[in-house]
Amino acid sequence: MLKVEDLRFRYSPRGPLVLDGVDLQLQPGQIGIVLGRNGSGKSTLFKTILGIQKPLSGKVLFEGQDLHAMTRRERARIAAYVPQDIRFGDLTVFDSVLLGRISYFGMRAGADDIAAVEQILQEMDLSDFAARSVEKLSGGERQKIAIARAMAQDPRLMVFDEPTGNLDMANELLILQEAKRLAREKNIAILCSLHDLNQALQLGDRFFFMKQGRVKYACDAQDITEELIRDVYGVAVKIIQAENRKIIIGGDLNENK
Amino acid sequence: MQPTKKRKKESAFIALLAVLVLAMSFVCLFVGSSHMGLADGLRALAKQSSPANIRIIWNIRIPRVLAAVIAGAGLSVSGLVMQTTLNNAMASPSTLGVSNAAVFGANLSIIAFAGGFLSTGNNLSSYMVGANPFATSLMAFVFAALSILLILALCRVRAFSPNVVVLAGIAMGSVWTAATTILQFYATDVGLSAAVIWSFGDLGRATYRTDAIMLAVVLAGAVLFSCMAWRLNALLGGQAAAGAMGVNVELLRFVCLLAASVITAVCVSFLGVIGFVGIICPHVTKKLLGQDHRVTVPVSLLGGCRLLLLADTFSRSLGSGSALPVGAITSLLGAPFFLAIIFSGKENRPC
Repeated sequence: MLKVEDLRFRYSPRGPLVLDGVDLQLQPGQIGIVLGRNGSGKSTLFKTILGIQKPLSGKVLFEGQDLHAMTRRERARIAAYVPQDIRFGDLTVFDSVLLGRISYFGMRAGADDIAAVEQILQEMDLSDFAARSVEKLSGGERQKIAIARAMAQDPRLMVFDEPTGNLDMANELLILQEAKRLAREKNIAILCSLHDLNQALQLGDRFFFMKQGRVKYACDAQDITEELIRDVYGVAVKIIQAENRKIIIGGDLNENK
Repeated sequence: MQPTKKRKKESAFIALLAVLVLAMSFVCLFVGSSHMGLADGLRALAKQSSPANIRIIWNIRIPRVLAAVIAGAGLSVSGLVMQTTLNNAMASPSTLGVSNAAVFGANLSIIAFAGGFLSTGNNLSSYMVGANPFATSLMAFVFAALSILLILALCRVRAFSPNVVVLAGIAMGSVWTAATTILQFYATDVGLSAAVIWSFGDLGRATYRTDAIMLAVVLAGAVLFSCMAWRLNALLGGQAAAGAMGVNVELLRFVCLLAASVITAVCVSFLGVIGFVGIICPHVTKKLLGQDHRVTVPVSLLGGCRLLLLADTFSRSLGSGSALPVGAITSLLGAPFFLAIIFSGKENRPC
């Protein structure tokens, strides 16, 4: 289980707290969606959980182990990251995925690492792309390679920072389905930020609404209400039920005034 | 499933390049202003020719060719590592202001300590003592090292953020250039011309001793960068992604910047400023072979050797009796080729 306790972070000693006591919990195999307005601290929260940034105070425990007390390599074998801005450099797909094994091999990839990458590429239907340059792939394919690279770390926790940001509808669906498959089949805890609330409802098991550097609401889908969304986003919306699903419709900034 | 075909092609290319460098080094031994024929040159190489020819081959051309190979490799690979580490296509071996600092050190040695100041007069004997090449090189290296340490210490405060490093390098470079200008303003004609001539890159200053020192530093750097190849590949994906994969980005940046700058400092201190090698070779390599550092590190090393050998041979063939500055020739030869490579691509690859 992922347990974040009272996490605080600021970028400069005199700057404001970007994370002001974040608490959240996520079970293995669950998908937790982190939501909130731009600047509410979602990306900062992810980078702090992953140890890319050092927190001011607070703890990040995974299955009882303090992630921040581990070495970088130990941490990379537990938690993987699919960043918002996906870049690889001009490498082949195979080598890009093999990069995810750095925390295992150090200087030279071994037979185990090669086998692990081959298996991931096969599972994700990417074998035919192995020798191609990542630079020549489409946005959706690159996103998939980024997920494959994260999978190569053999993680038990995956963090996705706005994975569908620049994708078309078909690629969005492809990535969300891939995330769901990983959570269900591999029992990986997934923490993901999304802006589209309907997409979030479609994918998530738990929802963490951030406001002013804190998780103000941690709830399941059935607890998401129009009032909650108005409080977090300052927007009036309507929630309807259709085909056994909650659907959030539109929004009016003026209604909130 | 592994791209083995690609790997084999890359290995073959590296081997071919290595053979080409060896062949070029050999051929370059027989080109020069003395117009020694090939047969005479081969006899001199076997120490069977006249003492003058033997001296030309063994005391002038071999150290010079070795210097071209070593400095070309060092400057080129330093440029590559700087560009990756700082995520900046315009980064070069001198991004930390190393060359400017070395030029200031050499100017100080030549102008201030060799009687090159107006106030001390033109004392030629004092000038000759102070212009001892080792004293000048040592002074150049001391200031280059000082500049590296100062910038790296400053940049540590901002965790070696690439933009901070580049801007700090530009600022520090400007300080050294300004100090050099002031120094030159008060120099005598003799001091000034000696200082300006020093700043032209010249492989003719190389000796076996300087080659051995450069070789030790460049070799250590090449081994280090080869060991770091996967980490440098990870850095191509951005700081956050590399960090999440277990790479200590701050330490990697520090080590790479330090090693690349020390290589540059040693080469510039012994040979003067040789520009462009550190930009053109890495870019051509990346354009042709992609960005995998397992390939780009050895290819940049060999490409640098080739460019500097070619430029030096060209400079020795053009001048009548004396060689033209090799730094100018690298730019003259390299720039058109570089432009052709840039504009021949169908797409924009990342740098």
